[in-house]
Amino acid sequence: MRPERKKIRLKDISLRTDEPLTTVTANDLMPLPPPLDQREKKAPYSPLSEDQKKSYECSLDGVSALALPKPKNKEEEEKLVERFLEGLRKLLSQNDNWLFWQPLIHSLESCVRCQTCSDACPVYVSSGNQEIYRPTYKSEILRRIINNYIKKRGKILSKLTGDDIELNWPTVARLAESAYRCSLCRRCAQRCPLGSDNGLIGREIRKLFSQEMGIAPKELHDAGTVQQLRVGASTGISSAAFQGMVEFMEDEVEERWGKRIKIPVDKKGADILLIHNSGEFMSWIENPVAFAIIFEASGVSWTLSSEIYGYEATNYGTWYDDVQLARISLKQVEVAQKLNVKKMVMGECGHAHKGLIVIADRILMDEMNFPRESYLPILEDLILHDRLKLDPQKNSFPVTLHDPCNIVRLMGIVEPQRQILKRVCPQFREMEPHGVENYCCGGGSGFAIMNSMNFKEWRENISSRMKLKQILETFNDVLDPRIKKYVCAPCSNCKGAIRDILASHDLWEKHGIYYGGLVELVANALVDMKKPFIEWEWH
Amino acid sequence: MGAMILFIFYGSILFFILATTLRVRKSMNAPIHLHWELYKGSSVYELTEWWGKTGSAFGEKLWPMILDILFLREFYHRNRRFWYPLYAFHIGLYLLILWHAWLFVRAVAGGIETVSIFGWVWGTFSTLLAFIGGLFIFVMRMTDEELKVYYPPIHYLKWILLLVTLAGGVYAVDVHFKSSMPALLKYVREQVTFADFGHKLHPALGPALHVLFASVWLVYLPFSHVFQLFFRYYHYLRWDNVPNIRGSEIERRIKEHLERPVTWSAPHIQSGKRWREVASELQQTPITGSK
Repeated sequence: MRPERKKIRLKDISLRTDEPLTTVTANDLMPLPPPLDQREKKAPYSPLSEDQKKSYECSLDGVSALALPKPKNKEEEEKLVERFLEGLRKLLSQNDNWLFWQPLIHSLESCVRCQTCSDACPVYVSSGNQEIYRPTYKSEILRRIINNYIKKRGKILSKLTGDDIELNWPTVARLAESAYRCSLCRRCAQRCPLGSDNGLIGREIRKLFSQEMGIAPKELHDAGTVQQLRVGASTGISSAAFQGMVEFMEDEVEERWGKRIKIPVDKKGADILLIHNSGEFMSWIENPVAFAIIFEASGVSWTLSSEIYGYEATNYGTWYDDVQLARISLKQVEVAQKLNVKKMVMGECGHAHKGLIVIADRILMDEMNFPRESYLPILEDLILHDRLKLDPQKNSFPVTLHDPCNIVRLMGIVEPQRQILKRVCPQFREMEPHGVENYCCGGGSGFAIMNSMNFKEWRENISSRMKLKQILETFNDVLDPRIKKYVCAPCSNCKGAIRDILASHDLWEKHGIYYGGLVELVANALVDMKKPFIEWEWH
Repeated sequence: MGAMILFIFYGSILFFILATTLRVRKSMNAPIHLHWELYKGSSVYELTEWWGKTGSAFGEKLWPMILDILFLREFYHRNRRFWYPLYAFHIGLYLLILWHAWLFVRAVAGGIETVSIFGWVWGTFSTLLAFIGGLFIFVMRMTDEELKVYYPPIHYLKWILLLVTLAGGVYAVDVHFKSSMPALLKYVREQVTFADFGHKLHPALGPALHVLFASVWLVYLPFSHVFQLFFRYYHYLRWDNVPNIRGSEIERRIKEHLERPVTWSAPHIQSGKRWREVASELQQTPITGSK
């Protein structure tokens, strides 16, 4: 029997203790279906070392996403709290935060605390309904801090609207960490009958910490947007290294599949400038290779760019910082302008779709408002208009589709990927729920690349747990390892998160569950490919 | 006392009109925000060269909004248990608002002696529906573990006041006016036509209390969720497919904001410059912990 859990109250966020408010145990976790239906005995994440505990804030749940250093003394604590309040004032000011003021205010004011959103959150449900992961938890704390410390409504009204939060350093530190326990999948916002967006509130909290206090995960800021603006890609790939990779790709195609193709780079006046997440070149080079084979086979006029900023679609600013978001968007568009292409096309990267095509729509003015679109409608057109000779029987194995939140719920591209899969994969099966009701892979909003301390364990065992459950349920009739199965994840970060959950449970070795992108399946179905494109080699 | 009631009643109507106007103005003048959209299904981005094929019209949103407000569809689909009392309460309230409008019209239209029992049935049924719905919501809010979460004390008071207001309405109509529609309409006519001030300055307790409670609600209404429901459809807040086209109104409004100064203080921001400059210049200072 599960032991009675300590009830977490909102005011506990202010507790002056280094002990976490909650530590998730194996008993708390949402059960998984077969073959992982035996209750885990191991805790979902390891405790931090004593040294780490001494140095970093981890009193929310014993996990550290931010590596937030502990203040050295009381004065430093007070200074940080004051800066937090200053940032909060800016967040609520139309002048300082015009970019998100209206949806933020709407979200803060419209919540009726019906908690309809709670069950929509994969983190909350997977963790066994931990109060600190409830979508409204951080929002309500922020709302009460605003009521008591910004609006200063007087004693009686404050009491009536909830004045139980003491604004001290533990509150600020726990709130900062809690913004990184939500993957901004916004499934809760989709579910909210009033349109309150707890995902947005989470991002706004992240933004306050980054833009005012200089606090953000190193993977997103120092090694992310800052590195991208300095060298051209968040992976650190330089222009010269990129050009070397293109040559390697051409050689690979010849060596593996006996075809010599020329991958166009910096071709002025091409119809399409294709931009990949540069993580593809490092971890899944078959994805840009598949794009090259498909575009060559269909006679599309396209090019890659070796110009700094032109070979990287990511924009981590989307997740935590408006200034970095705007800077990177502008740099990416400048490359397309110089090449004089007709349009920019995003490859298989979800947040790059949402960031550059949708959000940056109201950043890019005049000539910078450059045509930008997803690869999905283009690929759908090529297939539906028979521009590619395809043999779906080459993909006669069970395939399911993971819907990246950024492309589906946050952008409304739902059908093209399904039309493509129905054409090329005779054994395509949907996971439930899917489309705009999908669950996040658990790697959204930067989680897939955040691996410091025990955060990776938290992601794999809590944040990605719902996706793991869905995958197992979808393939529950074909778990025999001799039947190869394919989880199609058309987004680089989703692919990384799914790779990690499959690997941590040996699901490829023991049950033949593999993963990859969408274009790999299309390339695999090409009649002209003499050897199978998908090689079923785990990586 | 009577003068105060009079002042509160007419004052609350004035306040309602003023506050509603200000609220609408505040929302209309809010800065246009970045395109942070959610989608119920397929969008224009499923099309190649989508920028030439879009434009979500006012009318397209109108019908879904009316259906959502009328039937609370989102609660129906996502929180059915809560929807039952919520819907009873809201439908009762909608009918009650219509009934009051009818009372005003009927009172000045004349011939109030011949009014049928239908008016009484309408009012009583609406009040009962709203009362039963409200009572169930109140009980659920007190007892249901999920619905209790983070619900601030002020909202419990709100429900009590609401139930008292509804009960006060029943008392005024059925005890004070003895369920007589002609008597009620006569009273309403006095209010609407500003007639018989002497009578107004010394009101009977039943109607006076009901008027007082109703006035509190008039003051609250401009800040209620009904207005937010409207705004979320019509202020780029939900299901918005309108892109920024060169030379468009959206572009004009954004350009104004790009001239605003950036005030954020983190080392990588370059505080003090305009948004346009900060976004396009690249003097980077990496974050290495708090400043």
